[in-house]
Amino acid sequence: MKLSLNWLKSYVDLKLTTDDLAHRLTMAGLEVEGVHAAGADTVLELEITPNRPDCLSVWGMSREIAAITGKSLHLPRIKAHKPTKDKISIAVEDKKDCGRYIATLMEGAAIAPSPPETSKRLSAVGLRPVNNAVDVTNFVLMESGQPLHVFDYDKIAEGKIIVRRAKTGERIVTIDGIERKLDPSILVIADAQKPVAIAGVIGGKSTQVTSATKNILLESACFDAGLVRRASRTLGLQSDSSYRFERGVDFEGVALAANRATDLICSLTNARVVRRTDCFKTVAASRRPLVVGISDMEGLLGTFLAPARIKMFLTSLGFTLRPSGKNIFRVTPPSWRNDIKAGVDIVEEVARMVGYDRLSEGLPVIKAVNVRVDPRPRAVKETLARTLAAQGFCETVTYSLISAEMLERSGLENLRGVALRNFLSRDHSILRPSMLPSLLAVVQTNINRGQKDLRLFEISKVYSANEERTTLGLVMTGRRGRDWRNHSKDAVDFYDLKGAIEQSLGRLGISGQWQAPTCPVLDQGAGADLWINGKNVGFAGRISAQILSRWDIKAPGIYFAQIDLEPVFVLPAPGVQYHPFAAFPAIGRDVSIAVKTDVPYARIENVCYSSAGALLKGVHLIEEYTGDKMASGKRALVFSLTYQSDERTLREDEVNGLHQNVLKALAEQTGAVLR
Amino acid sequence: MWNFSQIFDQARNDLASANDASSLEACRLKYLGKKGLVPAIFDSLSSALPEDKPAIGKGANDLRILVVALLAEKAMALGKGEGGKSCARAVDLTMPGVGPALGHRHVLTQTMTEICDVFERMGFAAVESPEIETEYNNFTGLNIPIDHPSRDAFDTFYLEAADSSAKGRNLLLRSHTSSGQVRVMRDHQPPLAVIIPGRVYRPDAGDASHSFMFHQVEGLLVDKDVKFSDLKGLLSEFCRRFFGPQVKMRFRPHFFPFTEPSAEVDISADIFKGTGRKPWLEILGCGMVNPKVFEAAGYPSGKYTGLAFGMGVERMAMLKYGIKDIRLFYENDVRFLKQF
Repeated sequence: MKLSLNWLKSYVDLKLTTDDLAHRLTMAGLEVEGVHAAGADTVLELEITPNRPDCLSVWGMSREIAAITGKSLHLPRIKAHKPTKDKISIAVEDKKDCGRYIATLMEGAAIAPSPPETSKRLSAVGLRPVNNAVDVTNFVLMESGQPLHVFDYDKIAEGKIIVRRAKTGERIVTIDGIERKLDPSILVIADAQKPVAIAGVIGGKSTQVTSATKNILLESACFDAGLVRRASRTLGLQSDSSYRFERGVDFEGVALAANRATDLICSLTNARVVRRTDCFKTVAASRRPLVVGISDMEGLLGTFLAPARIKMFLTSLGFTLRPSGKNIFRVTPPSWRNDIKAGVDIVEEVARMVGYDRLSEGLPVIKAVNVRVDPRPRAVKETLARTLAAQGFCETVTYSLISAEMLERSGLENLRGVALRNFLSRDHSILRPSMLPSLLAVVQTNINRGQKDLRLFEISKVYSANEERTTLGLVMTGRRGRDWRNHSKDAVDFYDLKGAIEQSLGRLGISGQWQAPTCPVLDQGAGADLWINGKNVGFAGRISAQILSRWDIKAPGIYFAQIDLEPVFVLPAPGVQYHPFAAFPAIGRDVSIAVKTDVPYARIENVCYSSAGALLKGVHLIEEYTGDKMASGKRALVFSLTYQSDERTLREDEVNGLHQNVLKALAEQTGAVLR
Repeated sequence: MWNFSQIFDQARNDLASANDASSLEACRLKYLGKKGLVPAIFDSLSSALPEDKPAIGKGANDLRILVVALLAEKAMALGKGEGGKSCARAVDLTMPGVGPALGHRHVLTQTMTEICDVFERMGFAAVESPEIETEYNNFTGLNIPIDHPSRDAFDTFYLEAADSSAKGRNLLLRSHTSSGQVRVMRDHQPPLAVIIPGRVYRPDAGDASHSFMFHQVEGLLVDKDVKFSDLKGLLSEFCRRFFGPQVKMRFRPHFFPFTEPSAEVDISADIFKGTGRKPWLEILGCGMVNPKVFEAAGYPSGKYTGLAFGMGVERMAMLKYGIKDIRLFYENDVRFLKQF
């Protein structure tokens, strides 16, 4: 809200510099966001929080400043104008919609431009002067915070004012020249035939006060806040009037503003009051005094405040206090403070007047708390992130909102994201059901910028209708490593990705099983599904060339994995136990065989173990060779076997015997040929 | 005056003819040793004519640099086996070291962990709360009525999916982690001290300081005698630990429907380098839990008091690390990621 300092100064003595004033207001909860000059005037830009509609006016701010600075307040004298004739006909259909409606009819107005003093005041706070009647309504709105409206009375059919809901299909052309469609959710002011204003939001064009107007009907009313808010939203129209109504106006201020505006209109336009109706449909929520104890206040604030000081602050803000027992007050808030509903609200008033900076400070004692958190999910996420970072992976944070088009481009059109109703842009209109589109987008961005060696991971959520699942996404592309001593242009492959996953899960004591892939986004023969504890938890492999071309990613291979962590969270934490290592030496034997490519490596390992017995402690693959020296359909495997006993030193001939068994079994059971 | 061009030539010749470790060492002593030529030239400065001094100083320096470089070069050559066995292979100290590439945690997770650590050490428990929420948990349970202007500050994304717990209402993406307060209080009786970190969503048009998705850390402490002074002390301590002991801060009255009294905390900008900032920077919102929130949670009236606070993780990271554009966090350019 814009606040003119000159205007303010006509109601409160102001000795502070502008900077000091801005600081004091900010520290009292009325944040000054900017100060700028407007001609000879200075205008403060205030952020008034939604609980303080009473501060959306010059009088309201003058009251606050008087209380903050201890200066006195001088509100203007208002001359009463007695009506000469009977009341006007006003009908309020539902008193819940409109609690009070004061209509004042003034006759014989001479409509002309406002005097320069009035125009200047309005311009300083950003309002455009119109004429001496309309300007008074804006002037008093700014002054008192009570929205007002003037009608050309002669344009009101049968001189009747009806406050009612709009009928379906009714239309009104508003002052801004726009025709608006109404419906029964919208409250209107109507005459005998048609709506003439949208209550609390904007007036109608047909009844607006123009230079030809002679007789003016002034409206000062109190409309239901929620109703004005919905109308303003429905119509996409926010006005100074609706802004205040939806925050709540001072029920008693309705009459004050009516009198002030009547007085000003009469003096500026030479009109005289002929009729006046105060349609007082509801009594303002009767203000029950709130009981506030000094000890409660100290209990909540942790600072002792003398009762006299509390009384002084509250009184200066317009509260009435009556003692009610020792150190207990019965406090009645003023009519303009609809936000004060409970004792804590009074505590805040006192606290902000004292100044938060002057209140005590100490540390809370935090007792054993009643919230038990399962530490496992966090430990799993932390361990995975740490292990991956140690392996050169950078963590990403990507938007959970993606587009259906991104899903489709990623070959996941069969998945349905959770759709937003009011998205800002199609690019971010569904909650992702997979990490793949997000990570492909990051890969695309980086590769386009020349960063081609990427190892990325993210641990965050994927979504389905009513479920959020914490998920690990991994992506690798580019060269395997950088070592100038052993320069290699080798690109990462499936085994790098598999290794990264195995190392990370291994840290959690988990060994997954790899099975033939079922996810269609991977290239044939270049991926696998991961199973943990009998559940398919995800997949890993090379993203198909077709998907990469749809993303326009030019890279030798993008390796991606996604693992659902929810099943991992429920696994018991690995109970690490120390195992004494063998005290007796190990004996190694290397084996080099040629074998058909359709014999899986795991089968070879199994044959080794089953044929050697318990003394074979380890099988380690050293090399795979599939070059031109191999017959087609065959590969060479070099691996080393480790024999060891926990009880004694093995004899050479004993190991030789075992090893012969292994070689024989390999030949018989896998068709391996020694090289 | 020294004849430097002649001296340089001599040095080159000496080193060129040195073919084993001992002759190299002899060269080193001749030029760089305590009684060598370079110190001798420097010594001569004291008795030199003032106008000659700069040239002599420069000459001595150049000679030193030349000899050091030639010695290193020769030592390398000898190490590669061109010389005798007596000279071990020397490493080039200036070659880059080799190690596995290290990864990096995202600066947002680092910042979030840092924030949570401070509170967890004080005894708060970190809990997770869903991002897909009901209107009740995001608004009503926090004393934010439907169709009330206080909702304006919390513009919200709604899902197409209906909320099975509330007729005619849809599910939404939480617009603040405060929704987690409602869940925690529904499931637990005081005393409780929790922090709730996570993603939140608001339909704000994106620019350098706004994003439709960001992260918050929420805090809630409920017990029989929690005071505003505790709130001040707790958050002052947090700021000192997070920004450093010299940080200046102020508590300013504000409005949140779920706290009363409410405050915003500003820190003084003077701890940050760079210009053009405001003198005070808002970092978090906080207050004493509004009794209406306890009422909604079903706690007995008047029995408990509590404090709550919420802060934006991006904002904290931007201040701490001098990041000027919030979009950098989600773009994930590795040149950004690798800086943290």
